[in-house]
Amino acid sequence: MAKKPSTKSYAELSAQLAEIMQWFESGDVDLDEALAKYQQAIKLIEQMETYLKNAKNKIKKVSGSSNS
Amino acid sequence: MEDTVLSPSDFVALLNQTLEFAYPAVSIEGELSNFRVSKNRWVYFDLKDELSSVSFFGTVYMLPGPLEDGLVVRAVGSPRLHPRFGFNLNLRSLMPVGEGSLKKAAQLLQAKLQAEGLFAPERKRLLPLAPSRVGLITAANSAAYHDFIKILDERWGGVEVLLADTYVQGDQAPAQIVQAIELLNKLSNLPEVIVITRGGGSVDDLAAFNDERVVRAVAASRVPTLVAVGHEVDISLAELAADVRASTPSNAVQILVPDRGAELAALASVQQALKRGLQNYHQQAIIQLRQDRRNLSELISATLAGETVRLEHLRRLLDLFDPKAALKRGYAIVSRGGQHIKSASQVKTGNALAVQLHDGTIGATVTKVSRG
Repeated sequence: MAKKPSTKSYAELSAQLAEIMQWFESGDVDLDEALAKYQQAIKLIEQMETYLKNAKNKIKKVSGSSNS
Repeated sequence: MEDTVLSPSDFVALLNQTLEFAYPAVSIEGELSNFRVSKNRWVYFDLKDELSSVSFFGTVYMLPGPLEDGLVVRAVGSPRLHPRFGFNLNLRSLMPVGEGSLKKAAQLLQAKLQAEGLFAPERKRLLPLAPSRVGLITAANSAAYHDFIKILDERWGGVEVLLADTYVQGDQAPAQIVQAIELLNKLSNLPEVIVITRGGGSVDDLAAFNDERVVRAVAASRVPTLVAVGHEVDISLAELAADVRASTPSNAVQILVPDRGAELAALASVQQALKRGLQNYHQQAIIQLRQDRRNLSELISATLAGETVRLEHLRRLLDLFDPKAALKRGYAIVSRGGQHIKSASQVKTGNALAVQLHDGTIGATVTKVSRG
């Protein structure tokens, strides 16, 4: 099955990752939860890397047809 | 023409028609004098040189900002004969010209807007991190635009740029820039930031960025603004009113979006940190487990040892109650026909008795019974 591209913006992904990192830094040891969070973070990082490597900028003209 | 007799109104109408045909609009550059504003709305002034003076009439909406006598300005207007007040030019636009006048006009405007609090630091908003929709106001055929897009493509991806192509200099620039800011602020899907940019130029070229209408529109934008005018010496008032300023179009991109390479490197180090974090948790869990096991076995050993001591103690206590121990100390158990004798009244003279000692039994006969 082909990987679906993320519909979330980079800023949203980045905010989610920051939240997980913060959880890790809080120091509550729960190995099951840490494992789950780790998997989640790795997935986010993969999505972010895909975004960075593939995303293209788009230009859309919204006005100014009079002087081009 | 002499033969045609006209009324004054006919003459005014005829002359205005002729003027409109011959001079729809003229640009006149001269020194501003008798400048006055009436009822905050109507503007009257003259433009003069050594020999001549021409009167203008217009509204404050056509001014680039506060003005004062002595400034050199270029005014565009339509000549006409007013039915009662005589000849003047109907003002269409006005711009200070020459470095001195431009700077003076900018100073006047800066003082006015400063007093209104338009440049106050507490008005400044933060730009979003890595915005995905960006409004861009600039001239689409300019080097500034090409620089902006080139650096944007180099640094980042996934940005939708909403380009509002405007003049960035000349007398049409202020109105177009204002219109573009308003347009981008009215979109149903708002951009997250509006960038207004152009490359460097002379003081005259940059006049639009010291225009009161532009400065106010920048300050009034709902969407946070980033203004980048490529010059280093004087900061334009539009930049002062913006939430963030940048020195050049490429600098604007640097402020606007992170760098792809740096971000990838940062992600790699985050991944490392996560891995280390997880390993730490794992290690800690193992250490905890070992500790628990050690504690448990210590607890069990201690319990066992305690129990052993208690049992030994009990056993000794029990020994005290063992009748055989008493036999060893010299006591005897006397019985008759298998029944233990506990009282002298249980026997009579002649009864056969068994006397049990610790190492054997003696058969005996009762020879006498005495009580007490």
